[in-house]
Amino acid sequence: MPVPCESFYRLVAAFMTNVSVSRIRNFSIIAHIDHGKSTLADRLLQTTGTVDAREMKEQFLDNMDLERERGITIKRQAARMNYTAQDGEQYVLNLIDTPGHVDFSYEVSRSLAACEGALLVVDASQGVEAQTLANVYLALEHDLEIIPVLNKIDLPGAEPDRVKQEIEDIIGLDCSGAIMASAKEGLGISEILESIVHLVPPPRDTVDQRLRALIFDSYYDPYRGVIVYFRVMDGKLRKGDRIRLMASGCEYEIDEVGVLSPRQMAVDELHAGEVGYISAAIKAVEDARVGDTITLAGAQATEPLPGYVEAKPMVFCGMFPTDSDQFEDLREALEKLKLSDAALNYEPETSSAMGFGFRCGFLGLLHMEIVQERLEREYNLDLITTAPSVVYRVTTNKGEVLLVDNPSKLPDAQLREKMEEPYVKVEIITPKEFVGTLTELCQNRRGVFMDMKYLTPERTTMIYELPLAEVATDFFDQMKSRSRGYASMEYQLIGYRENPLVKLDIMINGDPVDPLATIVHRDKAYGVGRALVEKLKELIPRHQFKIPVQAAIGSKVIASEHIPALRKDVLAKCYGGDISRKKKLLQKQAKGKKRMKAIGTVDVPQEAFMAVLRLEQ
Amino acid sequence: MLSIEVSAPGRSAIATAAYIHIPFCRRRCFYCDFPIAVVGDRLRGEASGTIRQYVATICQEIRQSVNFGKPLATIFFGGGTPSLLAPTQLNQILETLNQTFGIAPTAEISIEIDPATFDLAQVQGYKAAGVNRVSLGVQAFQPKLLAQAGRSHTVEDIKVAFHTLRQAEFENISLDLISGLPYQTLADWQASLEQAIALNPTHLSCYDLTVEAGTPFSRQYKPGLAPLPSDEMTAEMYRLAHQTLTQAGYSHYEISNYAKPGYQCQHNRVYWENRPFYGFGMGATSYLQAERLARPRKTHEYYEWVQQQANFSPSHTPSDPTEILLDTLMLGLRLAEGVDLDALSDRFGQAVIQRVLACLAPYEKQGWLMIERPVSHHLGRIWLTQPEGFLFSNVLLVKLFESFAD
Repeated sequence: MPVPCESFYRLVAAFMTNVSVSRIRNFSIIAHIDHGKSTLADRLLQTTGTVDAREMKEQFLDNMDLERERGITIKRQAARMNYTAQDGEQYVLNLIDTPGHVDFSYEVSRSLAACEGALLVVDASQGVEAQTLANVYLALEHDLEIIPVLNKIDLPGAEPDRVKQEIEDIIGLDCSGAIMASAKEGLGISEILESIVHLVPPPRDTVDQRLRALIFDSYYDPYRGVIVYFRVMDGKLRKGDRIRLMASGCEYEIDEVGVLSPRQMAVDELHAGEVGYISAAIKAVEDARVGDTITLAGAQATEPLPGYVEAKPMVFCGMFPTDSDQFEDLREALEKLKLSDAALNYEPETSSAMGFGFRCGFLGLLHMEIVQERLEREYNLDLITTAPSVVYRVTTNKGEVLLVDNPSKLPDAQLREKMEEPYVKVEIITPKEFVGTLTELCQNRRGVFMDMKYLTPERTTMIYELPLAEVATDFFDQMKSRSRGYASMEYQLIGYRENPLVKLDIMINGDPVDPLATIVHRDKAYGVGRALVEKLKELIPRHQFKIPVQAAIGSKVIASEHIPALRKDVLAKCYGGDISRKKKLLQKQAKGKKRMKAIGTVDVPQEAFMAVLRLEQ
Repeated sequence: MLSIEVSAPGRSAIATAAYIHIPFCRRRCFYCDFPIAVVGDRLRGEASGTIRQYVATICQEIRQSVNFGKPLATIFFGGGTPSLLAPTQLNQILETLNQTFGIAPTAEISIEIDPATFDLAQVQGYKAAGVNRVSLGVQAFQPKLLAQAGRSHTVEDIKVAFHTLRQAEFENISLDLISGLPYQTLADWQASLEQAIALNPTHLSCYDLTVEAGTPFSRQYKPGLAPLPSDEMTAEMYRLAHQTLTQAGYSHYEISNYAKPGYQCQHNRVYWENRPFYGFGMGATSYLQAERLARPRKTHEYYEWVQQQANFSPSHTPSDPTEILLDTLMLGLRLAEGVDLDALSDRFGQAVIQRVLACLAPYEKQGWLMIERPVSHHLGRIWLTQPEGFLFSNVLLVKLFESFAD
């Protein structure tokens, strides 16, 4: 039997003792992607001896493969660290991670609500980015103590003074005490730990009150059911307690309660101020959603904690198996994903062109891509995903109000009284030289200019109101490419507005293809229609016959192209040394064909269904 | 899932064909992606140390080869530019082959040569060494087209070369032509065909240009877009070649090959009939005991591989029965006579025939495929029509690959 290492005993000993509320510090890290949040978190875990250098995987907190690949955090984690401060006292520091993408701002707000303080980490060679700014404002709303940290000061391009000035100018935060750090080189780490102890206030001591614990994350474990991460705000909970989730109304008995070190470690009891997890045979994440309040079934709190919001999908798309035999597999996969992803919505959809599939709702485009990728990777499905749509509000002649998330379900023009679409307020922070091109982008996307300010002589913030439909396509990618990666953005929903919108139908070989239908502003319909038929001409391979591709509004064709017939398809040379390579070409072609969807007699590749996202307008 | 077994004759066919790769070229043509080594204009034959070392290594490889015990019936020197070899060097390789495997008295021994790389004495030397078939790389009869394709010879060189070969009393001469070259017109192509016919060769290969990745052409041109002729135009060129050459007495016996009666290339037929062959030299592939083995495509790696064959493993594709079946169909349908269903059934079982026919039947109506119906004990034969079936052969092959892939 392996002998547990010394640090293991140290941890167990520490966790057994009952910590006084005054010695607890709960904090999170606010940082832009690439500004070094994960590296800093790793460094804190290492310095406090929570994780051994030898068991340290790079970036301990990003667990999913997808997160590592994309360098983003989707699932939050937490870590409890024991720290002996320079005053000789022992403290418990709980780091609560926040997801790093605009699609997940609600989750960020719940993580911040579980803290008393936050480290604001800014890359000393870059500066403040839009999303960081949005999260700082969220933290200020929750009265968090904010500790500015300038990271990467060891880099040759670091300009700590400029960036400090920028933080002061933009956020109004005093940066005279900002910590100079390099998480990579281990600089400034002890100063950060000391600041957490001395600047972040301890939680309120409400151990005697009725239990209220805030869920800031949960995930599905196939063996134990849902594991819930929470911060105890008031009272205490212990193993065996019968708990009630105040929003979902579900009740469970706690099988296990513990802390995150960052590995799960069972303890007997957690009290106000502490952060931990429970498992209680909870079947699905939606029964214990982020933001819900845990209380005791037998001694319920009178009020739940504030801030709980139902997950509301912002964009919808159709997902269809390429091979119709996989429909049941897709249903099962979605059911399983739903267990761990409360924000995912789906219901069966039937399309004349595509057969059976599901209409799925997502928080945003990234969320959609993640789900699609997980379905293909983890469940081995070949999927056709249709272009995302927002939810339109349609008022009919008879005065009914319908919510339409699928362009093909839009009532005919003569039955519609008016159409409204969701708008968002977008804030973009950019170096000033890109203001021109980004203004052009916003205007092309029907943006309404609201405000523009120079944050510093070099950097600008632009505020626009835009239809969500224009932002939910490739807006983010366009913003990044036009600014060579330097601009960042943040958006929030501000309500519905009426617009003259029309439905654009696409016909391939004379047949309307409903998953390609899209809703556009009347003034843009011709441009989009033309670009779309041209793109489809490029994406759909030649067949043995000529294929007309048309865009139409109602019965009026507004753009038309045709894919010429295949003239030849032959391997000119095939001798001894060519055989393997030529065969691979044919195999590749055969495989590509299997991944296409047959629409009538035309084979349409997957990319074609997302063509509307990749138009050069 | 259909299980396919290869019966004994399929596995035990004995190789009687040998391909010898001579990778040297004076320069690289703009469309070429073959494994070659550029040696420039100055040194060749015995005067070039590089070529001497290569010949020595290839002879070593031949001597190290497994021998299946039958004399060689066909030998093909391909390139590169094999005519950069001195007759003595070619003779040395043939001698080594003879000592190792034996060479049948009636063996077809071919060499690829390029205009402006040889003189009369040299080709007389090849003939004396045993070469009896020559394939001359002509490609086009228009100076502009030759220059734009990076060929290092002129139209005059072609005529001189052909005349020299006739002087050396080579009877079996093949010419290579390319259609679909940049700036080529239908009239250019027709002129090339007519000038080729006027020389009265026994065999012609007409290749529709493939723009291969990594070649200068692939950086300059996009298939189907000017200055390359459109797909419509190159399909027309293909039909024109079929019509012109069959009228001139050549049979269209393979997708890109034409021959007078009795002059089909016996060596190349080995590939299309999916029979085994030896392969020697840098980048050469052998197909022995149902395994395709590709040698390294770089000179020094090839040398190393020959020196230490035991602990070097180049890319190596073992074939399972379905793969052998697909190879047999992909190659066999290139030939005018197509695939014999009795032979296919003997080799892969009768169930396979049903599936192949089910897959391809729709193309009979389309006019691309002929199916000879079974008579008494014969299952019949399938073949592609000329020129239309040949032109769209990939459509049928992809269908077969889709059907037989897992």
